[in-house]
Amino acid sequence: MQGIVRFQSFMGNGLIVEWYLISILYLMLREKRKQMRILFIYVPLALLLLFFNPLFTKLVLRMEDIYWRLLWLLPITMTLAYAAVTLYGRMKGKIRMVFALLLAALVMFSGNYIYDDGFVQAENPYHMPQAVVDICDAIEIEGREVMALFPDELLVYVRQYAPTVCMPYGREVFSRTTDLHVAVQEEVIDAQKLAVLAKAQGCHYVILPESREMRGSLLEYDYELFADMDGYEIYKDTTMYFGY
Amino acid sequence: MSIIILTLWLGVLPLFVGSLVGNGLLKWKKNLPFIWISGQILLWALFQLICVPFILLQKDFAQLVRVYGGMCGLLAVLALLLGRKYWKKPAPKGVVVPAKEEGEKWRLCLWSVFCLLLVFQLVQALRLTYSDGDDAFYVAVASVAEESGYMYMKLPYTGGATGLDARHSLAPFPIWIAFLSRISGMQVVSVAHIVVPFFSILMVYGIYYLIGNKLFGRTGEKLPFFLVLTQLLFLFGGYSAYTAEKFLLARSRQGKAALAGLILPFLFFCFLLLLDRVQERQKVEGSIWTLLVSAMMAGCMCSTQGAELCGFLTVVFGICAAVGYRRWRILVPLAFCCLPAACYAVMYVLLR
Repeated sequence: MQGIVRFQSFMGNGLIVEWYLISILYLMLREKRKQMRILFIYVPLALLLLFFNPLFTKLVLRMEDIYWRLLWLLPITMTLAYAAVTLYGRMKGKIRMVFALLLAALVMFSGNYIYDDGFVQAENPYHMPQAVVDICDAIEIEGREVMALFPDELLVYVRQYAPTVCMPYGREVFSRTTDLHVAVQEEVIDAQKLAVLAKAQGCHYVILPESREMRGSLLEYDYELFADMDGYEIYKDTTMYFGY
Repeated sequence: MSIIILTLWLGVLPLFVGSLVGNGLLKWKKNLPFIWISGQILLWALFQLICVPFILLQKDFAQLVRVYGGMCGLLAVLALLLGRKYWKKPAPKGVVVPAKEEGEKWRLCLWSVFCLLLVFQLVQALRLTYSDGDDAFYVAVASVAEESGYMYMKLPYTGGATGLDARHSLAPFPIWIAFLSRISGMQVVSVAHIVVPFFSILMVYGIYYLIGNKLFGRTGEKLPFFLVLTQLLFLFGGYSAYTAEKFLLARSRQGKAALAGLILPFLFFCFLLLLDRVQERQKVEGSIWTLLVSAMMAGCMCSTQGAELCGFLTVVFGICAAVGYRRWRILVPLAFCCLPAACYAVMYVLLR
C-alpha cells in the first residue's frame, strides 16, 4: 500500500510514467536483443516488484521519507527515448519526420515544463536574493563571526552566502520552533520581549522587514538603527562587543 | 581567471585522467565524451577515497586541498606518460568518421536542435535560479569548509560548533564544491549555483550521448533523435517534485541530484558495456570494472543513499544478467564492485 501511494506521488500529474510503462510493454513484444531486454525490461520489472513488495517495504522503511528514491533506479528517460527511437527506426521516408515531430509534441504534452515551477530570474552572480547579499556585506566583520537574527524568508540563504554570519535559529526552526522565533512571528512584535530574547542569544544584529508592526521600539533597549536596505531594517545591539 | 582554472579542472583534467581507462577500451579510446566523463567519475571516486578519511580524522580542509590537488596532478602526469603512444595511433576505422547517408539534412537538423536545446539549458542555468531549502544545509557546509577549514564540524544552519557530523561526512559532495571554490577563487555560492549546474548539464547529455552511441551507433539520425528526446524528457520532467530530471536541472548543487541524474545513468552505461562483452562471450576488460567501481564510489560521494542505491541496482542487474545468460560467474566480480558501497553503507549504519 505504501509503495502504491509513493509511486503515485512520484508519477505526479503528467503522463510520462504511464508512457514509460507502455514503453516497457512495447519492448517486451518487439525487443529481441537479450542485453536490451535485461536492461530495459527485466531490471526495471525486478525493481518494481521489490518496490511494491510489502516485505521489502518493511525492510527499508527506516528510510521512510526517501523510499521513493528507489524509483530513481528506473531508467525512465533512457527507456522512453530508446523505445521511441526503435519505433521511429521502423518507419520509412517522410512519415518518420512527421512521427518524430509527433513524438516530441507528445512528450511536451505529457510532461510539465520544468522552468515553469519555482525558477526565478537570478538577481546577482551568486544566485542569492540581493537583500541577503547587501545585508550580509553590511554586517560582516572580517576575521570574526557575528550573530544576527534574520526573518524567515532569508534564513535559507544567509549561511550559503556568508558563513561567518551565525544565526540563533536556521531552517530547522520550521519544524522545531523556539521562544525567539515565536516572538518574531507575533503579528505585532513586542520590542521588549524581542530585545531580551535576542540579547540572551547573543545577537549582534536584529534584522526585520520594514513593514513589521512593533509595540514599542528596539531603540529603547540599547539598539541603534544600523542600516535600512532592500526593505529591511538592521538593528545593532550597542552593548555587544564588535572587536576581534 | 577563476573561469579558466575551473575550465582546466573540470574540462581538461578529466580528459587526461579519463585516458587512463579509455586506453583500455580500444573502441572508445578516442571518444572524447567517454574519456571526459570517465575521467570525471575517476576523479570523484578519488575524491571520495581521500576526503572521507580526512573528514573522519578531523583534518583541515586546506590539507585536503593540497593532497587531493597533488594526487590529481600526479594522475594527470601519469596519464600523459602512459597515454602518449595511444593518442598517436590512428582511430579504429568506422568510429570517428561518420558515413554519409540518406537523410543527411534531417540528421543535421536533429543535431542542430540538440545543440540549440543544450545552449538553451546552459543559458537557463546561468540566468535562472531555483531556491530549495536543502541548500541551507549542503551549500552552507561547503561555504563553512571553504571559509573556516572545518569540515562537518559546524552546524550549517546556524553556525554553532558541534561534534563531527560523521553521517553526512560519508558523502562529501559539498566539500568537492568547496574544493572547486578554493582552487578557483570563486565564491562557493557561485560555484554551487552556477558552475555545478552548468557542468552537470554538459555531463548528463555527455552520458546520454554515450548511451545513445552504444545503442544506435555514431552515424545516422537515431543518435541525435535519441538525444533530442532525452532533452525534451528532461525539459518536461517537472511532472512531479521527485523526478531525477527535476532534481538535476533545479538542484544540481546537491549531491543527490548528481546521483540521480549523472551516476545512475552512467551505471547503466557501464552495464551496457558489460552486457556486450557477456553477449559476445568476450573477456570483460579491467577498464570496465574500474569504471563500475569508480561510479559506485562517486555515487557514495554524492549522497549517503548512493551506497544503497548503486549497490542495490548492481545487485539486481547482476542477478538479471546471470539468470538471463546462465552465467553465474559474473556475480563474483560484480560483488567485488559492490564492496566499496557496502563498506560505506556499514560505516553509515555504525556512525549515524
